[in-house]
Amino acid sequence: MSPAEPKPRKYSYYVEARALEVTDRPRRFLETFAAVLEHSNYAVALDAYARVCSKCGRCADRCQLYETTGEERDVPGGRGDLLLRVYRRYFTIGGRLKARLVGGFTLTDEYLDRMAEEYYRCVACRRCKEVCPMGIDQGLITHLARWLLAEVGVTPKALVLAVREQLQGVGNTSAIPVAALKNTCEFLEEELQDIYGVTIQFPFDVEGAEHVFFPAVSDYLLEPDTLMANAAVMHVSGGSWTIGTGNYDGINYGLFYSDRMMERIVGRLVAEVRRLKARKILIGECGHATRSAWFAPTFCGPDAPEVVNFLQYTARALREGKIPLKGKVIEERVTYHDPCNIARAGRITEEPREILRAICRDFVEMTPNRTHNLCCGGGSGLVSVDEIRPFRTRKMGKMKADQIRATGARIVAAPCANCKKQLREVCEDNGLADVQVVGVHDLLLRAIDFGVEPKAEEKVESSSQAMA
Amino acid sequence: MDLWLEWARGPLFRIAIAFLILGLVRHVAIAVFEIAWAVRRAGDKNIPYRKLARATLAWLVPAGKLGHRPLYGLTTLAFHVSIVIVPLFLGGHIALWARATDLAWPAIPNLLADVLTVIATAAAVLLVIERIAARGPQMLSRFSDYAFPLLIAVVFGSGFLAMHPALSPVAFRPALLVHALGANLILIFIPFSKLSHVILMPLTHLISEVAWHFPPHAGSEVGLALGKENEPV
Ligand code: SF4
Ligand code: SF4
Repeated sequence: MSPAEPKPRKYSYYVEARALEVTDRPRRFLETFAAVLEHSNYAVALDAYARVCSKCGRCADRCQLYETTGEERDVPGGRGDLLLRVYRRYFTIGGRLKARLVGGFTLTDEYLDRMAEEYYRCVACRRCKEVCPMGIDQGLITHLARWLLAEVGVTPKALVLAVREQLQGVGNTSAIPVAALKNTCEFLEEELQDIYGVTIQFPFDVEGAEHVFFPAVSDYLLEPDTLMANAAVMHVSGGSWTIGTGNYDGINYGLFYSDRMMERIVGRLVAEVRRLKARKILIGECGHATRSAWFAPTFCGPDAPEVVNFLQYTARALREGKIPLKGKVIEERVTYHDPCNIARAGRITEEPREILRAICRDFVEMTPNRTHNLCCGGGSGLVSVDEIRPFRTRKMGKMKADQIRATGARIVAAPCANCKKQLREVCEDNGLADVQVVGVHDLLLRAIDFGVEPKAEEKVESSSQAMA
Repeated sequence: MDLWLEWARGPLFRIAIAFLILGLVRHVAIAVFEIAWAVRRAGDKNIPYRKLARATLAWLVPAGKLGHRPLYGLTTLAFHVSIVIVPLFLGGHIALWARATDLAWPAIPNLLADVLTVIATAAAVLLVIERIAARGPQMLSRFSDYAFPLLIAVVFGSGFLAMHPALSPVAFRPALLVHALGANLILIFIPFSKLSHVILMPLTHLISEVAWHFPPHAGSEVGLALGKENEPV
């Protein structure tokens, strides 16, 4: 939307050129809808939602987008109704009868274009669900609508490219070849040696390890401190883990636009764990990667490997006294951002706090927090869509920026690759340039007592730049 | 007039109740069947029933859930409490039941019924005003979202007047007729409208969870059905 854009876009985001050539979209959309209703469990929700939404509008009070824009199209219940209207008209007896008798709504190309815009304005944070007396999950509706749209070609190009690279290209979303991965890990080992004076190895393809490690693969490019800390935690706690060279990417953009892709990507995690005869999927600091991995039993049956998020592993090791600490060495004020994908349903909220409280002198909460926390503003994959940055940071992210500002914190710990990228941009674009956004483990690394004299303590904070 | 009144309180009432009960039973049966079917074919059958029950209960007894707009929340609460209690526990209504079915149960004191009736009427009108005044709800509202609370206000208002002929500007019979016709209309509407939440709401939180529990291979099955199984990304 900014004047500097190279070429006009049909939607706020770029789609692939071939997407614009898809013909007969309403028919295809309905065909897909029918197939999805048959093979998934969405029908049970749509059936109920289409009946019970009382139009009370409470959801509007909870949507950070609507609160910022005040635009009619951003009222959650109204957006949800875009899809429910199609459902009612084409997939309920009453709707079909009504159409035959009195006509009315027909699905058109224009209507699909409207859905394409609206369902990429919702970040599927599911905050509105908490205040909906009927428990209507707008995140689910957005998730489903995006899948249906994807089957008629409408998906932000950035998401499709990443998934293509992962499933058909190099094998991961950042196109990092195994050689480069190993190089990076060697570099990180050297850094650990140089800075902390410890010899820690990143293990590869260890058969029979307990955990196979899947961070957001972008961490290998952007988050050296998080990775070094992950390795350090495993080292001091005596954990059994390995990186698999068959698949080392936890990212799953299928969660954001297609269950078809999500299933394939989850399947690849499980396959790698089985190849290595390992037992658990260990996800790095990443919210959506964790939530999509939790779908392993859904897609791969009850004997799918257990899923552990690194925060859970570390908090447990800490509780068991397996991580020696130098004390509360983080002096600056620190606050914590709850990623929607692990916190909204209350699954991971306390572990990161346990870790942070153990190492921070001045830890403060954002309000609201935990299950009620605001989304970073880049949820549901929007963070990867660079062309909508003004929307992400100034509209979706505005309340987040205000929330961070109110804490007065210098450091925001956010255990999620997507949240980190988005929060950095939110801070930049909202006058919070002096706020640092880091992973929880990054801070922990500074506090671990390796029992040796660090060789160059002053270099601790500069390893990120060294790597960049 | 008497004939109409008899009709509204007799045959029409019976028809309305039949519609209501059959409609609601159908809703519950379908919902329960769909939930069971969804769980049966889900890959991950691990469903946090306790947590969901707690969430549902929290909404059934929604103290502390008044939300962002306390006035709106309070009005809704007062509205729901009174429109559930009065129709079921007013002495006159129980007599009506007893006449039709021989079933009877204890009534609430008439004074309490009066107070609740006034609350219900006022709350229904307030709800409409708040719906117009608050931007979010206003933008979502359709004709029926205003019509239902107004109809409810008319039913409760006329019921009150019928109970207190001395206070009433209209005669007893017309008031009672409006009351009975309106009430029957609402009963019939319940299963066909958003008012079906009276029976479905306790299930919706569970439904929202179950819908995320896809059958294994739900994605690839859809790919197969669309002939896209070999299509590159
Ligand atoms: S809060 Fe729920 S019931 Fe109320 S309008 Fe929003 S989606 Fe509908
Ligand atoms: S899921 Fe989040 S972004 Fe989407 S409508 Fe609800 S509150 Fe708004």
